[in-house]
Amino acid sequence: MPTPPAATPPETAADGSAAPPQGAADGVDYLDQVMAEIDAEVRRRRASGDLPAGLERELDELFLEFSPVGLQGRARLRETLALVDGAAYVDIAVPVASEKPIGTYVKRLLRTGLGWYLRYIVDQVVKFAWAVSRMLHVVVDHVEELEAAVESTRSPDLPVEVARTGEPATDWWRPVAIEALAGVAGRVVHGDCGDGSLVAALVAAGVDAYGVDPSEPALAAALDDGLDVRAEPVLDHLEVVADEALGGLVLSGSVQWLRPNERQRLVDLAASRLTPGGVLVLHSATPASWAAGAPTLVRDLAPGRPLHAGTWAFLLAGRGFSVAAPLTGGPDRTLARVGASTPDADTVNAAIDAINELLLGPGAYLLVATRER
Amino acid sequence: MTAVHQFVPALLPRDATGHHTLALRDALRAAGWTSDVYVEAAHDETAAEATYFEEYPSRARPGDVLLYQLGTASPVAEFLLGRPEPLVLDYHNVTPAEFYAGWEEHTREKVALARRQVAVLAPRSVLGIADSAFNAAELTDLGCPATAVVPILVDLGDTAPAPDPKERDRLAGRHGGATVLLFVGRLSPNKAQHHLVEALWLYRRWYDPDARLHLVGPEVTPSYAAAVTAFAAELGLADAVVSARDLTPAQLAAWYADADVFVCLSQHEGFCIPLLEAMHAGTPVVALDAGAVGETLGAAGLLVPSARPATVAAAVARVTGDPALASRLVDAGHRRLDDFAPARVRRRFVDVLGGVALGRRGAA
Repeated sequence: MPTPPAATPPETAADGSAAPPQGAADGVDYLDQVMAEIDAEVRRRRASGDLPAGLERELDELFLEFSPVGLQGRARLRETLALVDGAAYVDIAVPVASEKPIGTYVKRLLRTGLGWYLRYIVDQVVKFAWAVSRMLHVVVDHVEELEAAVESTRSPDLPVEVARTGEPATDWWRPVAIEALAGVAGRVVHGDCGDGSLVAALVAAGVDAYGVDPSEPALAAALDDGLDVRAEPVLDHLEVVADEALGGLVLSGSVQWLRPNERQRLVDLAASRLTPGGVLVLHSATPASWAAGAPTLVRDLAPGRPLHAGTWAFLLAGRGFSVAAPLTGGPDRTLARVGASTPDADTVNAAIDAINELLLGPGAYLLVATRER
Repeated sequence: MTAVHQFVPALLPRDATGHHTLALRDALRAAGWTSDVYVEAAHDETAAEATYFEEYPSRARPGDVLLYQLGTASPVAEFLLGRPEPLVLDYHNVTPAEFYAGWEEHTREKVALARRQVAVLAPRSVLGIADSAFNAAELTDLGCPATAVVPILVDLGDTAPAPDPKERDRLAGRHGGATVLLFVGRLSPNKAQHHLVEALWLYRRWYDPDARLHLVGPEVTPSYAAAVTAFAAELGLADAVVSARDLTPAQLAAWYADADVFVCLSQHEGFCIPLLEAMHAGTPVVALDAGAVGETLGAAGLLVPSARPATVAAAVARVTGDPALASRLVDAGHRRLDDFAPARVRRRFVDVLGGVALGRRGAA
């Protein structure tokens, strides 16, 4: 049996094997240590380039190409319909071949003798099957027409690089996020982590953090820094994480403009993947700031829109989170009031106040929510 | 005399539920109780052990307790709902329907029906017996008034067959000294054999280019089995992924003995008997922490938090490359098997069911 050269963990006994601690109850502590070393091995492989950031996702996608699950829309409908068509014909000519000569004779006798009976039954079965098949063809035609109509109103997907316009973990919210996540039990993942600056800051603060981001180029700096980051959308990543496996989750970037169904899936996944007591940190532009300041391509093509902080709080509370009052920050584009010497100063300042309140003000907010036990 | 009669959809030979049902019947009879098995369908080999469930009303006696072995959809469920006798569920879990969505619609519908039957039966029963706390929690969520965790009866003691030496030699001759990963279970989306293929692919890149994956189990979802096979071929693993089915117990024991590590990445398990078989065979276990796998395994294997191939490949490499760890897991497995010793489980069943029967008599 070949011994894997790279599998030996750093902490080993003199004979090269891991040294189990003495007296560990049922070896649970020892196994935890082994798992930590396995995790370190995977991180080392990631950092060394043995595990390209998008490789695991590509394997999953490749598998789906071989599955009916992976077929989408028209191809899947038509393939399934072909199966129905194929099964709609019932062959009455039962095979009579047999290894024994007498067997062939007996089978042929039975087929001949029962043919009149079977034909009567089978004719009705086939008629029914073809009627069902015809009906399904009609349904599929209608569905395809419907899909074509829906498709004509669909916007193209935003290129992930263009979509990456979320405010990076700047000074105003980074310390808050770190404070909220320090000391959580379990790993912390930053969705849309970009260059990994928040991941690096969390790691430096002693948090077991890693990141995911759909843009592989965006991760280049993080990979160069040896951070544990993977090239996949946060939704896809959360789908494959075990229940209650995460101690913390940071959501930022394109999470702000998910489609409504994706947003709900994200909230559901966050609730199930976080351990009780786990912390969710959500950073988003305010709707007004986004409408005024996001790139036009994003504003025009983004499938969804940022929510108000209170709306996120409502959605999260509905899935068992207790949500702290939102913090605001980010680019502040409020208009300064005019001096008292300005003609009609009161009227102008009232208008400025109204504009500030309705349209401007802090450009982003941060929500910290805790999954209740 | 107390009578506890079992109802089971199908009584099949060489089947976990079939074995459990007959072993439990024998244990109940040995405890001095009357106990028969009623079925919807029986195999020729087991027909003499069972009576069709429609015949039960003419045999019913006051004081009967009915125990339903619940793991699939069956008309037996509807029948039991209409019976006045106290009903106990022995719940072996039903795979959630969503695992079959897009793969096999008729199976998806069947398991969805089974789940609906569980939901109706749970609040109607006086007790839910579950193989695992995971299964018990499902029953409680569905309104079952009381639950007890009692494992399934699995005979892995002295009567279990030894590995077939011819089969073992044949296997060893085919793969030489290459690392062998083994999984035993039906080829089905919830068992996630495609994740095993991914892990093998990465394991061969990182650790052992000749490593192989042995998959033992029936192809109950043909579209999934075909996708796994095509996926393996696409990754250049057509000769490295070997499937087998319909093995005799001795041949199966040989496949376990031949493997370097048993790897389970199943996403939903209510108990997972193959984990016990691997422990019995002395094959170290790496398993995804999903469903009841963690509680069945205890400390007798490496529980990985994710089915990601990098994590799985590294865990397998650690086990195969660290004899001290492998030995420790195997020893822990042998100790863990004591918790599932048939004598202990039989006693527990008799105690639990006795409580139901006596409680009812006392109330009367």
